[in-house]
Amino acid sequence: MSDVLTERELEDLECELEKADTKSGRIARRRTAIHDVEEGADWNEVEHTILTRRSIRKFKGRQVPAHMIRRILEMARFAPSQGNCQPWSFVVVRDKEMIAEMEQYCVAVCKNMTATIDYTNYPPGSEKRAAIQANTEKLNRASPNAFHPVPMTAIKSIANGRFAVFHRAPTVILILVDKRGVGVPEVDIGVAGTNIVLGAQSLGLGTCWVGFSRLLSSNAALMERLAVAPPFEISEAICVGYPIGNPTQQAVSRQTHQIVWWEGGEKRILF
Amino acid sequence: MSDSEHEKAHVDPDHLPVWDDPKEAIYHRVTVDLDKCDGCKLCVVVCPANVLELFGPKDNLKARVKIDFSGCMSCNNCYAVCAGQGISASEPYDFAGFYEQKRIGKFEFPRKF
Repeated sequence: MSDVLTERELEDLECELEKADTKSGRIARRRTAIHDVEEGADWNEVEHTILTRRSIRKFKGRQVPAHMIRRILEMARFAPSQGNCQPWSFVVVRDKEMIAEMEQYCVAVCKNMTATIDYTNYPPGSEKRAAIQANTEKLNRASPNAFHPVPMTAIKSIANGRFAVFHRAPTVILILVDKRGVGVPEVDIGVAGTNIVLGAQSLGLGTCWVGFSRLLSSNAALMERLAVAPPFEISEAICVGYPIGNPTQQAVSRQTHQIVWWEGGEKRILF
Repeated sequence: MSDSEHEKAHVDPDHLPVWDDPKEAIYHRVTVDLDKCDGCKLCVVVCPANVLELFGPKDNLKARVKIDFSGCMSCNNCYAVCAGQGISASEPYDFAGFYEQKRIGKFEFPRKF
């Protein structure tokens, strides 16, 4: 007998589940939640949480209770991952002094970087500018993501103190990636982090991803104190705190993206 | 785009944009509706790019975009915190050449299908 179910067998299986509904309250709850929504129906709670989430970079001073951080980390634990490899580990930093030390180190790195890559500090046509620009463009070709113009602007702002790396958040969660993970472990980090971010949002907390946290990796002493060691390395960080203002009162507008829609032997382009 | 500030340079697709050339690195500035702005300063505080400021007399402060607004990522955090819906970004940032935005459409609020 084939171990692939036919369509008929699948239908039978669904019927059996229906019967089981009456026996088990747990399954009944799950199945009542599965139904087609009507066209144009209101957002459900999960959708609303997703749509009103913002990246929060200005926090109130108040610390987040420890149990709430444990609670959102629990969301990460149940994220999907390639081959169920769960290639993550967390470092939670809640001491002002430690966060300040991490901040200072990142600022110093950014200051050094701007000196060798930010040609906009020199007037067009100058020799100095041409030399730095040539160096930057070489780095740009080698790492088009790291040297994208947007992070470059951020590095400049960090270096001149206009922008705080960890946003003076009361709690910083470093997400470490196990470099030996299945497939593309960094994608799994993104998925687990999204669970953290949305879980936090549903509890009224604000979060912001901090990719610059990776800069900490070059500080051996800090890495030792934070217990970051191979095969783990810092992949991302998420700042957590209570947002200033009421950034979740309304959803915002955003650009749409091309969707290629193949159906009925026809290709359409939607936005 | 009719606004000459937002005009994009015609360059080779492989060209790396020059960061301080407004025709190559096109950051989007937000629009403030001065009638709706009550000068509460929340947008100035939350702006991740730090490109907003207040201006005007003390009893009638209004928000505006700074002269140097490079770094505005059109994130609309300003709109999100504005109780009066008096400030918003309606265009994405863009670059000429290698980092040009592709396959994108106009800004939309969440749509119910």
